[in-house]
Amino acid sequence: MEKNIFIEFENITKFFPGVKALSEVSFFIRKGEIHALVGENGAGKSTLINICSGVLLPNDGHILLEGSQVKFNAPKDAERHKISTVFQEIPVCSNMSVSQNIFLGADPKSRFGFLDNTFMNKETIRLLSIFHIKRKPTELMKNLSLAEQSMIQILRAVNNEPDFLILDEPTSSLSIEQKDILFDFLKKLRNERKLTVLYVSHRLEEIFEIADRITVLKDGLYINTVNTPDVNIDNIINMMVGRDIDKYFYEKSKHFGENILEVTNLSRGKVLQNISFSIRKGEILGVAGLQGAGRTELGRAIFGADKIDSGIFTIYDKKVQIKNVSNAINHGIAMISENRRDQGIIPFMTVSDNLIMVALKKVSKFGYFINNRIRNLVKTYVNNFSIKVSSPLQKIANLSGGNQQKVIISRWLANEPKLLICDEPTRGIDVGSKSEIHSLIVNLAKNGMAVLLISSELPELLSICDRIIIMRNGRITGELEHKDATEEKIMYMATAL
Amino acid sequence: MTKVSGNTELSGFRLFWSRFNERGVLLVLIGLCIILSIVTPNFRQVTNVINITRQIAEISIAAIGMTYVIIVAEIDLSIGSVYGLCAMIAGKMLGRNISIPLVIIMAIAVGAAIGLFNGAITTKLKVPAFIVTLSVLALARGAVMFLAEGYSLSVFPTSANPFFAIGGNIGRIPIQIFIMFVLLTIAGIILAKTTFGFKIYATGGNKVAAQLTGINTDRIKIYCFMICGATAAISGIISLAYLQSVHPSAGTGREMDVIAAVIVGGTYLYGGRGTILGTFIGAAIIGVVRNGMVLIGIPAYGQEAFIGFVILIAVILDTLLRREKQ
Repeated sequence: MEKNIFIEFENITKFFPGVKALSEVSFFIRKGEIHALVGENGAGKSTLINICSGVLLPNDGHILLEGSQVKFNAPKDAERHKISTVFQEIPVCSNMSVSQNIFLGADPKSRFGFLDNTFMNKETIRLLSIFHIKRKPTELMKNLSLAEQSMIQILRAVNNEPDFLILDEPTSSLSIEQKDILFDFLKKLRNERKLTVLYVSHRLEEIFEIADRITVLKDGLYINTVNTPDVNIDNIINMMVGRDIDKYFYEKSKHFGENILEVTNLSRGKVLQNISFSIRKGEILGVAGLQGAGRTELGRAIFGADKIDSGIFTIYDKKVQIKNVSNAINHGIAMISENRRDQGIIPFMTVSDNLIMVALKKVSKFGYFINNRIRNLVKTYVNNFSIKVSSPLQKIANLSGGNQQKVIISRWLANEPKLLICDEPTRGIDVGSKSEIHSLIVNLAKNGMAVLLISSELPELLSICDRIIIMRNGRITGELEHKDATEEKIMYMATAL
Repeated sequence: MTKVSGNTELSGFRLFWSRFNERGVLLVLIGLCIILSIVTPNFRQVTNVINITRQIAEISIAAIGMTYVIIVAEIDLSIGSVYGLCAMIAGKMLGRNISIPLVIIMAIAVGAAIGLFNGAITTKLKVPAFIVTLSVLALARGAVMFLAEGYSLSVFPTSANPFFAIGGNIGRIPIQIFIMFVLLTIAGIILAKTTFGFKIYATGGNKVAAQLTGINTDRIKIYCFMICGATAAISGIISLAYLQSVHPSAGTGREMDVIAAVIVGGTYLYGGRGTILGTFIGAAIIGVVRNGMVLIGIPAYGQEAFIGFVILIAVILDTLLRREKQ
């Protein structure tokens, strides 16, 4: 019998209407280990986290905590057993201060029963210094960057002094330095306090940095648990998808057409400073850089989503004005924004509606919809990109991330753009769909589209881009051809130049 | 927007019924009618039914614009006063022998102009619609009082008679019922079958996403406010034609019934969802409830409280049902 088991799952099964999210999943986590949970979207990771933290009740099976059976009817029950969870998209109280957010629910009281602000602020300063966050405890949450906000969430969970910490994609908005700080911190807690961590992430490279053991789920089934030193990334991917994915190699075309877009001296405040570059027909131009380097802002400026201070856009050798999104669309520019949920999909609407959004003129006459045209358009894209839907009238919110993204891409392709700006097109998307979206983008370029690919994932940029420009603090600090580009060179230009 | 094929388990009426989103409220309406017919036999009398339909027409016409406004995730509290103001302006103009089509057009234009003001302040200055339209509610009521100099308007020259014909009947059926059906049909088609309607849903469903596909969401919202002002004006004009008089307090509290009709009809308060058919059924429920309360003998104060209660129940049911679906 294995000693040192902290938490054990026995035959955990969970049904949702029409789906078996988890099917007799059994494994255990040792005390004081960092245990990674991986799997494609829909593998059941979130369901397991939710059961672990008392959000959901399993239909069958039970949880043993240090040998004794526990039942979490509500999140409070899990908290009582010193389990803290940091959810991927937990809302912060944006109009409250940093210290109030960290102590949310803890409510330390002073002698007279009032909130003890002095204590809270002192503790907050200490906690913030761990993550090198230079903010006052009284700063409002909404003034913090996304990365800082997610670190505050982690601090809040840690501040409850849990025995078991569950982290769901904690690094999705962090820079590399911030990630390193977080990992050092977690390792320190593990070594000093015997903290047990369940770590869920899509980023396999990171898992290998931090996890002691890895458990793989697939389609709600338990696949395997392995010691990290015994395996490599390809083994894990194999277990996750049950097939090999050639994620690092695409055949590149060598000849590009004329310039589609030339940007000259584009500036916007301090975010974008004197940006100049051009992109050719059939070319995939990558934009690399750390969080806050101005990559997203560059995409938005070209797309007319933000007002710029100065700069000249030349499309097909003709100077054009891009004052708003409509201008950009009329000039043949499309943009897939980085936040699919908040800026991409319209959740109440159907797949069909979400797909025709940009091509409204094509499927209507005098502003009146022609059902046949809608049906044909939707059918074309659903078939071409094998979008998995039960019906075009299915709500888009019920699709997986990868399929949602395919709908969003189709939405733009329906308008036949010349330049496609993709901002983090594979964020939060499982490995299988990721490579599908990569080959989709490569094929679009082959057929003559220019693609501006903004991404935080270096392997993604290295594998599909013909050329990469690197940004830092709102400036372009370097440019690399596909054949010369390496992760090291990019990181050097993104951090040091 | 597209038709679907391939649902093999259901067919014909059952398929239609399973996709008929308004079935819940429709059942409530039918249930209410049955109960009231049993409790107070007067409910079934033809004159009473005609009375109810007049009321439903007034509510549901004003509720058209409100549906649009709520779908784009805004609210318009000013319509009770707009209703009164436009009726009063139309009345004053009739008193001066101005040609009837011009009177009607002018009154509707005033309603739309107030909507334009509401929408422009809300979207361009980013003041919450709740505050803007609450202020306009008071402003427009003040304007009615000023125009009326405190008195009801009920004496008109004979030249106004053709106008009052709008308040009459064809056979036994009030003309305003026909007007209502025409307007509801147009409004329903616009919402469900046109790109403008699509943009209304998109704006309410996710404003940022809509903007990033090139939809001018501010403009869409302003149009919706204008339509809301215009339909409130039409409702006011119809009441003037029927009553042949207008009181300075006409339309006070009308926004309550109209918002209730829209919400009871299933339009989502936070935008993005709702139908004209639902709104019509919602208006019918409000009309039937109000009429039923009079017949049963519930005093006027109690009626207001009860309408509030109906809204609350509708919103709670809506929230619970959606939670269950998820």
